[in-house]
Amino acid sequence: MSNLSEEVKQLIIDTLDLEDIEPADIDYEDALFVDGLGLDSIDALELGVAIKKAFDVKIDNNSDDSKKHFYSVKTLCEFIEQSAAK
Amino acid sequence: MEFTIKQCVAWSGDLTTAQDWQAYSQGDKKLSDSNELPSLKQIPAMQRRRLSPFAKLALHCALTAADECLTTVPSVFASRHGDLVKTSKLISDVAAQEMLSPTQFGLSVHNAVGGLFSIYTGNKAPLTAVSAGEDTFFTALLDALAKLKANNYSQILLVYTETLVPQMYQQYIAQDEVSIACALLLEPANLEEKSEQDADVFSLQMQQNNSQQTIENSQMQVLDFLKFYYNNSKAVSIKSKRHLWQLNKSANAS
Repeated sequence: MSNLSEEVKQLIIDTLDLEDIEPADIDYEDALFVDGLGLDSIDALELGVAIKKAFDVKIDNNSDDSKKHFYSVKTLCEFIEQSAAK
Repeated sequence: MEFTIKQCVAWSGDLTTAQDWQAYSQGDKKLSDSNELPSLKQIPAMQRRRLSPFAKLALHCALTAADECLTTVPSVFASRHGDLVKTSKLISDVAAQEMLSPTQFGLSVHNAVGGLFSIYTGNKAPLTAVSAGEDTFFTALLDALAKLKANNYSQILLVYTETLVPQMYQQYIAQDEVSIACALLLEPANLEEKSEQDADVFSLQMQQNNSQQTIENSQMQVLDFLKFYYNNSKAVSIKSKRHLWQLNKSANAS
């Protein structure tokens, strides 16, 4: 697993005050929201701001693309890598 | 108007039970600097993680005092400064041109804790948020009693909360402030069937204070109230810069 995914997991934990959760508890491909880790819409906004700050990427708040990017740690990492390559 | 107090729950540092507050009112226990907070284990961890010390104090007292009527009771939430720790962090971020945290922003408004209470309990009854300077506690009590009477409610919940203001605002604080929450479950005194026959009947009066007092009282009104509630005196009057508050207590004769 890449360093980026570890970084993203730690960012999720720190940003969203997930006190009792370790990076290893977050599955790379599982859903972050609702069924998976159980994050909600406020978390989505919060995480969006944190990812913008940490990786200097642009996120379109309401697009379907953003929903896909925020599905899992894996999709987030791919999105960050794509944006950096542009 | 006359009313009874069905439940009184207060938390400040290590004063957390009715016995503690009784001892406080008799001078046997003092307020402390302890930052002890309620654990609120009943709230799921995913919801609890967003609760500030302010929200924890308020929710603990609210949920305990209104335990019998959580989903139906109307409420008045009161605080002089609100969750100022949150608000001032946001203002600092604006000044530094940082992006604001959506979570902090959403939870910084004055009725945020009332909203959290409503979401957690599923209670959709009317709810107000009051702030009225040094008179916040008694104004909120007056507001609650007015709503109780005007709407013929059988009960109303009053939740007063204060936490220490951040360092940068301390110079503007004239009172000796402590972090505290106090929740009261209030009922009209004239309910036909009195379940607790020995419940004290209270009444509250407010007048303008024309004495041109220019200095705030050093003691917070919530502490005036708690002392009075737990001791044996029959009446207390509290002067503020604007008002003269009088609380009376009499044993229920019926």
